[in-house]
Amino acid sequence: MADQEFYVRYYAGHIGRYGHEFLEFEFRADGHCRYANNSNYRKDSLIRKENDDKWPRKNVVGKQELEIRLGNEHISFETAKLGSLMEVTDSADPEGLRVFYYLVQDLKCFIFSLIALHFKIKPI
Amino acid sequence: MSRYDNEIDLEPGVDNIAPDYMAVDSEARDGVRDDSHDYDRMDEDTTSTGGRAQRSVEGWIVIITGVHEEADEEAVMEKFAEYGDIKNLHLNLDRRTGYVKGYALVEYETHNEAKAAIEATNGTKFYDQTIYADFAFVRSTELATNCNTRRGMGIKGRANGRRDRSRSASPSRNGRR
Repeated sequence: MADQEFYVRYYAGHIGRYGHEFLEFEFRADGHCRYANNSNYRKDSLIRKENDDKWPRKNVVGKQELEIRLGNEHISFETAKLGSLMEVTDSADPEGLRVFYYLVQDLKCFIFSLIALHFKIKPI
Repeated sequence: MSRYDNEIDLEPGVDNIAPDYMAVDSEARDGVRDDSHDYDRMDEDTTSTGGRAQRSVEGWIVIITGVHEEADEEAVMEKFAEYGDIKNLHLNLDRRTGYVKGYALVEYETHNEAKAAIEATNGTKFYDQTIYADFAFVRSTELATNCNTRRGMGIKGRANGRRDRSRSASPSRNGRR
């Protein structure tokens, strides 16, 4: 497993009054970590979409994406921004969306800790 | 090239001669071993470990994985204070369960303290679980050659909620929340 390519990428953003604003980060197996806030980003779309059929579609508020690659497994999810757990509970797939909701929070928590400790700044 | 127009430099203070650190071409990897000693040291320490680690703005960050979900901050603090004055400690919680996620980040002021903590605790038992400790930040030029040594630093996750739900709570958990 350690020899397989692995990365996790998360994106949350919207296009609004101030242009394309977003937060994006990525962890890679070789130890690289990328973090971006508020810039333009183009992604290729060769990735299998999975399990997000019943999740809220992206909307005017924006969208979130989570992409994970582990060897030949390459999955991605896209949904609307979730402001509260209520939106998760009220969705058509509360169980799946709840996993996504908490995983995203845990990932954010991790990268914000790393950034805060490394730079002594508060991200976002 | 960087895919981001506006990317934070994750390695403040690193030499400007460092190449684009997202580039992973084989030539760059091959070159690493030979010229790693040419880089300026951020610290007086000149051991191989010292050259590999990357200093953060105010100190050296150690990442500990395999931390038991019921470990508490005082216990982690106590264990790692043995090797130096802890400037900062992040023991993040699983947002869903409220238990420790499985990793801790500890900041020491000096490289020697961080190194001592890593050497003394890496692979040891803590709350009956093996923990792994290493520098959280390493020089980008060192990543290619050292990623192998960083294997197994997996952060305990519960991405699969279904598995989580099917697990019955152990008696010890019930008491806590």
